[in-house]
Parts: sequence; structure tokens; C-alpha cells
Amino acid sequence: MLRCKLPAATVMAVCILIGACGSEPQPPLVATDIVIIEAMPGKQMTAGYLSLTNHSNAAISITNVSSPEFESVEIHESLLDDGVAKMRRITELSIPANTTITLERGGKHLMLMRPTGTSSQVTLSFQSGDSTLLSVRAPFTPRNN
Amino acid sequence: MGPKNLLFAIVLGSALAAGVFVATKLNRPPELQTGFIVPLPNALPDFSLLDQSGGLVNADTFRGQWDLVFFGFTNCPDICPTTLQVLANARRELIDSGATTVPRIVLVSVDPERDTPEVLGQYVNYFGEGNLGVTGTLEGIKTLTGALGIYFEKSPTDDGYGVDHSAAVLVINPDGEFSALFSAPHLIASFVHDLPIIMGDD
Repeated sequence: MLRCKLPAATVMAVCILIGACGSEPQPPLVATDIVIIEAMPGKQMTAGYLSLTNHSNAAISITNVSSPEFESVEIHESLLDDGVAKMRRITELSIPANTTITLERGGKHLMLMRPTGTSSQVTLSFQSGDSTLLSVRAPFTPRNN
Repeated sequence: MGPKNLLFAIVLGSALAAGVFVATKLNRPPELQTGFIVPLPNALPDFSLLDQSGGLVNADTFRGQWDLVFFGFTNCPDICPTTLQVLANARRELIDSGATTVPRIVLVSVDPERDTPEVLGQYVNYFGEGNLGVTGTLEGIKTLTGALGIYFEKSPTDDGYGVDHSAAVLVINPDGEFSALFSAPHLIASFVHDLPIIMGDD
């Protein structure tokens, strides 16, 4: 209750007191709950799930995802169309201002193809055109967890 | 009305209410969450395919146990492994809850071109022991899927192809008949709740 009723001035005052808000501005795009599934034995592809939050006041468009651990990373969407499971590539993922988009099982997800090695970690870079918006590193998650 | 009569009325009233409650409960079959029982079970067609060891799979393979059959392919990173994981977890929960009847999990490949018995074996074995992988000729697969109303079709991608496919899980009874189905999206809890009712083990 208290949190909801805090006036903006109080929040600002707290920010100034701890000195965090001004000196370290939050990056516009933040990734959370990153789950990159370990590829199954013999398979050259796997899926990744995460939440992407756009903290800025303008829409962010992701046009490319890359990883040194995979030859190719694409954003795909699983669709259920009249009982038929389909998968379609998304070439541009737009995240509206101040909005979180969740890439999850049975919906939008990362498709990571052709691993380049046997690393236990994966680095993902999200780009918009030529500029890199965000780079994150996460361990692989066993599927049976 | 004296206190004795009042007590008698309360006891009689409660007994009646309890009787009506029990009668209603007994007459109503347990409700399924997402499962659907096929009114007239269908016998499987005459088909000939291979299991993950290269052994023959035909209609007789589906006799003698309950089977949960999903149609998918191993180059599918999201829907197929998620569904198999749901089935494997539901199966484990049934075992843990002491169910006497536990179905086998079957994956029928809709991409026999890439899913050789060996490839399919690695895949289905990953989700637990005792699972059955079915592949073979495209004609053999189509004989089975056609009779069961399962749709699948290749869908080209930038560097190859995927396969669109019906996402339902079919239940085959021990007489080898298609007797129930679960429509996607699939939930562990629905399988754990509905399967004992479908298999007559509730």
C-alpha cells in the first residue's frame, strides 16, 4: 500500500539520496528470466526463452539476434492454428515503449541453430540494424528442469 | 414443535440432503478437463512402420497397453519437446500417485525423411525409458495419420523446412483403438486428472 501511494517527489528524493538514479541510468532494453535450453543429443538446434523489457519512451525494434556459440539465431513464433502447430520466423520484433515482451514455450521464442562448440554458456546480442542494443550471457539450462 | 420433534426433523432433513447429494454424484460421470472421449473408438488402419531400433511397428504394436500418441519431428525446438516433456511429467506424476495403469508415450514422426530410427531413438529416449518412436516411409506415416485425421505438411524456411502438424495427443486403448484425444495446448495437470478417468482407473 505504502509503495503505491508514494508521491513522485519522494521517489526522486530517495533517488538523489542514494545517488543511483542519475549516475547509472537504466539501459533502455533489459533481458530477464533467460532460459537457453541445452540442445538434445544429436540435435543441431534448440530454443531460448526470456523476457525483454523496453524501459524507454520509444518503441524498440529488434532486427537481428546473434551468438558466437551458434551459427544462426532467429526469433520464431509457435502458433496454434485450428489445432495445427506451426512455426513462423519473426524478422522484426517490436517492443512498445515501457513494455515487456515474453518469449515463452508455445509462443515467441529464440531458435538457436548449429552450435559452434561445446560452451556451457551462451552470449546473446540483440541488434537493431547495425547498433547493438543489448548483450547478455547465460548458462544452458537442462531441458528436464 | 417440541425439541425432540425438531431434532428428528433436522436429522431427517440432513439425511435427505446427503442422499440427494450422493445420488447426484454417483449419476454424473467424472468430468474431463481437456480430454475428449471418442464416442465410437476407431481401430487403427493396416500400416507398416519402424520403431527406433528398426523393428516393425504395425497396428498390433498398439495392443496390450494404453498409448499417448503425439505427431511431431525432432528438428522442432519448441512445441514438440515441450509436449513430450508434458507427457513425460504427467506420466511420472501418475506413477508417483500410485496409478495402476500408466500409458506409454509414442512419438510418430511427421518428418521421416530426416527422422531415421536412430535420430528418433536419441530423441524419444531423452524423455525417459520405454517411450516408442515411430518412423518409416512417408506412405506408411500417411496411412496412419490419414486414418486418424492428423494433418501435416512441410513448410519451407530460409535454410530448409519445418513441418506444420496437428498438435493433438491421441489416446489408443489396449484394444488398439483410437479412443480419446487431448487438444493443444497441453497441460500436465489435465493429463494427470483426465487419464485415470479415460483409462477407467479413477
